[in-house]
Amino acid sequence: MLSITDLTISFKRGESKKFAVKNLSLTLKKGESLGIVGESGSGKSVTSLAVMQLLPPQAVVESGKIEFDGKDLLKLSFDEIRKIRGKRISMIFQEPMTALNPVIKCGKQVAEIIKIHTSLNNEEVKNKVIELFEKVKLPRPVKLYHSYPHQLSGGQKQRVMIAMALANKPDIIIADEPTTALDVTVQKEILLLLKELQKDYGMSLIFITHDLGVVAEITDNIAVMYKGEIVEQGTVKDIFTNPAHPYTKGLIACRPPLSGRPVKLPVVDDFLEGGKTDFAVETEESKKLRHKKIYSQDVLLKTENLITRYPLKKNLLGKPVKWLNAVNNVSFEVFPGETLGLVGESGCGKSTLGRSLLRLVEPYSGRIFYKETDLLKLKAKELKKYRKKLNIVFQDPYSSLNPRLNIGSAVTEPMKVHGIYTNDNERKKKAMELLERVGLTADVFYRYPHEFSGGQRQRIVIARALALQPEFLICDEAVSALDVSVQAKVLNLLNELKKEFGFTYIFISHDLSVVRYMSDRIMVMKEGEIVEFGDADEIFEHPENEYTKLLLESIPGIDAVFK
Amino acid sequence: MWAYFTRKILYGFLVLWGVITIVFFLFNILPGDPSRMLLGQRSDIASVEAIKKDLGLDKPVYLQYLNFLNDISPISLHNIKNKESYWYFDKSKYRNGKIILRFGKTGLVLKKPYLRRSYQSKREVSDIIAEAFPKTLLLASTSILLAMLLGVVLGIISALKKDKPVDRFLMVFSSLGMSVPSFFSAILMAWLFAFVLGKYTGLPMFGSLYSVDDYTGEVYINLKNLILPAVTLGIRPLAIVISLTRSSLLDVLSQDFIRTAYAKGLSKKAIIFKHALRNALNPVITAISGWFASLMAGAVFVEYVFDWKGIGVVIVDALEKYDLPVIMGSVLFISVVLIIVNILVDLTYAILDPRVSYR
Repeated sequence: MLSITDLTISFKRGESKKFAVKNLSLTLKKGESLGIVGESGSGKSVTSLAVMQLLPPQAVVESGKIEFDGKDLLKLSFDEIRKIRGKRISMIFQEPMTALNPVIKCGKQVAEIIKIHTSLNNEEVKNKVIELFEKVKLPRPVKLYHSYPHQLSGGQKQRVMIAMALANKPDIIIADEPTTALDVTVQKEILLLLKELQKDYGMSLIFITHDLGVVAEITDNIAVMYKGEIVEQGTVKDIFTNPAHPYTKGLIACRPPLSGRPVKLPVVDDFLEGGKTDFAVETEESKKLRHKKIYSQDVLLKTENLITRYPLKKNLLGKPVKWLNAVNNVSFEVFPGETLGLVGESGCGKSTLGRSLLRLVEPYSGRIFYKETDLLKLKAKELKKYRKKLNIVFQDPYSSLNPRLNIGSAVTEPMKVHGIYTNDNERKKKAMELLERVGLTADVFYRYPHEFSGGQRQRIVIARALALQPEFLICDEAVSALDVSVQAKVLNLLNELKKEFGFTYIFISHDLSVVRYMSDRIMVMKEGEIVEFGDADEIFEHPENEYTKLLLESIPGIDAVFK
Repeated sequence: MWAYFTRKILYGFLVLWGVITIVFFLFNILPGDPSRMLLGQRSDIASVEAIKKDLGLDKPVYLQYLNFLNDISPISLHNIKNKESYWYFDKSKYRNGKIILRFGKTGLVLKKPYLRRSYQSKREVSDIIAEAFPKTLLLASTSILLAMLLGVVLGIISALKKDKPVDRFLMVFSSLGMSVPSFFSAILMAWLFAFVLGKYTGLPMFGSLYSVDDYTGEVYINLKNLILPAVTLGIRPLAIVISLTRSSLLDVLSQDFIRTAYAKGLSKKAIIFKHALRNALNPVITAISGWFASLMAGAVFVEYVFDWKGIGVVIVDALEKYDLPVIMGSVLFISVVLIIVNILVDLTYAILDPRVSYR
């Protein structure tokens, strides 16, 4: 149906050229669903954009053909490709938040794609859109027809995108990371929906993702991409049970497993370099011993009936009249040296809880004890002392570093504020040490954030947190924005640092397997409340709460990959 | 949505009160004796005292301030019995005033805000403003409309032809337009189009919207006189609109939802007009409304050069002659206009971008 031969695409940057896709060949049969898996920068998205002639202007197609219906798509004029886009081949993009036009009603945006390619009248088009909305299982389709994108949830927006892609019953749907920005439970629903619709309509599907678990869930065949090339291709079963290429092996191994706890997570480099690929798992006994030691100590941090709330509705004078309790009556304890996992879906209040502990968001009521001190009773000046002991690593390494400050200033600034070390030279020496400790080189000190990749930036952010020699570190989705192989490296680093400095962590994430791997105990949060709290492995093997069960079932690829 | 606007309007009143207070105290502490200004240097003590009493200058400042507030407010309290009272309801001052409630000697009055009288011409300030402001409004609206329509079109062209000669030319024009001071461009325009090319264009060097025939009292309206000042005044906003539309449109065109629109198979025209432009216009509206507001305050230089008797010229004249009531009245009036313009702009935002009122 679609065949790509010898495709090579490069990106121009000034004089230099960078190859994004190299000699790629691929075929897609009618009704086939093909997963393309690779990490950011592997060229998977570029390939799919080339099919639709949607490449950014800097991209140059050096050679190759993309044949569809006997025509080379790369050679079509704008008006010719326009007749194929949205009618024969359609696309679903990654970010449903930004992929829809914010100022046009959802229904109108879907109606538009029908109007361009058919001659139906307005009434017929509207009925068809509502029918599509029903098909993609949107609630209250008539109402949503007249809603703007910002009034919908992320999952609903993605359903609108899918409705849009399906509208003209295309031959091929290309889905580029369609569920990456969504919660696991929503992701599961969307994947099931896509699978069902693909069967119903008899379409071919190209599913692009960085997550092996997700492709296992939805596609028949997998192509693994690495540095612009397809390194391995085969059925889902083959790839998972018998990966041939070291990169594929690494990719499968570096996901935190759902049972057992390797002392160190494997990383892709281990496989590529052909080094040691056998990793020791912590035994039950050593775990028991460790836990016994942790839980026989005095409590380090304790919250009592903590409530943090946001105004929902304000009256005419701007005085809030309705509140949302983002953190609702939460009480828990953390022991020194422990890693406490906090999981939940977006909007459950887990980040707000993390920030409340440091009083980055002011809690409304309740108490937070750090050792003996009630943090909520402290004045700004006294609190500063504790800001040094308790620190936080944020989610997005791209926006949590000031682009105009060099790395050195970013790392030394907190030391300066808290008066650690007497002069700049000492601080600089210490900063360089820390940068080396997190796996970077000392010369990073003089460079700027934009020169680094996501994983490197997260290391810098960790170094910055370490600069204050904290005792207690809150990691708020610290690895969520990273590729799996990079994620494994950062997780390893966090565990090494914990051992070395004796930290206590609160590890916040929406990714259950990551949280389980990192934590001793887990709290499951839903709508501001803790619904389940207990030993990490225990919760995973025998969840009691319905919601926890649902979360666990939604982990993508759990059947195919892990059982 | 409605709560949002009610809040904006309440906020507007708060701002207005702040302006009134600042204006009052600012001009109260300035040196100079209004009674002398009214009567000239050679007046006798008795008449100076009489004027002082009439203006309430013998009263303490806080009473003067309250009296000022009372005069400006459309609903006010007055003494309706005692002619000697500072608070007396004087029909010659408060024209069209109606007493709606009486309690003893006090009356609640509904009236046109009283901005007092000019020291110079003795005319009521509100009359002076009513005469000058429509001209300024016409001039400002024309030039802004011109800048907006032409600017958005040229901005789109510039964005679509990015780095092509047309774009380069428009960018040069735009930076020139932004940097040329209006008194210079005004003189240049007048010289070039009315003096040098006057024979072909038929445009006069200067002149106001209408003139009154001294003998017959007939009023002549000369719309032709509007052209040169409006174009001159429009140059700068035009330059800004072009470059803003361009950069904002280029920004929007690189957004994800534009890629979605292409993936649907839409034509370039539909993408630009249906998907991109509405998203791109917000910063343009912000800039334009700012300019519109400042033009309302009177484009002093341009009004002066073309002898367009708008509010800018009124203010400059009043400042020169230290005509306090005219200055205070004009400043207050312009504040009200600015506040109204701002509320209207917020309304436009909410219409253009449905996300606004939720923020």
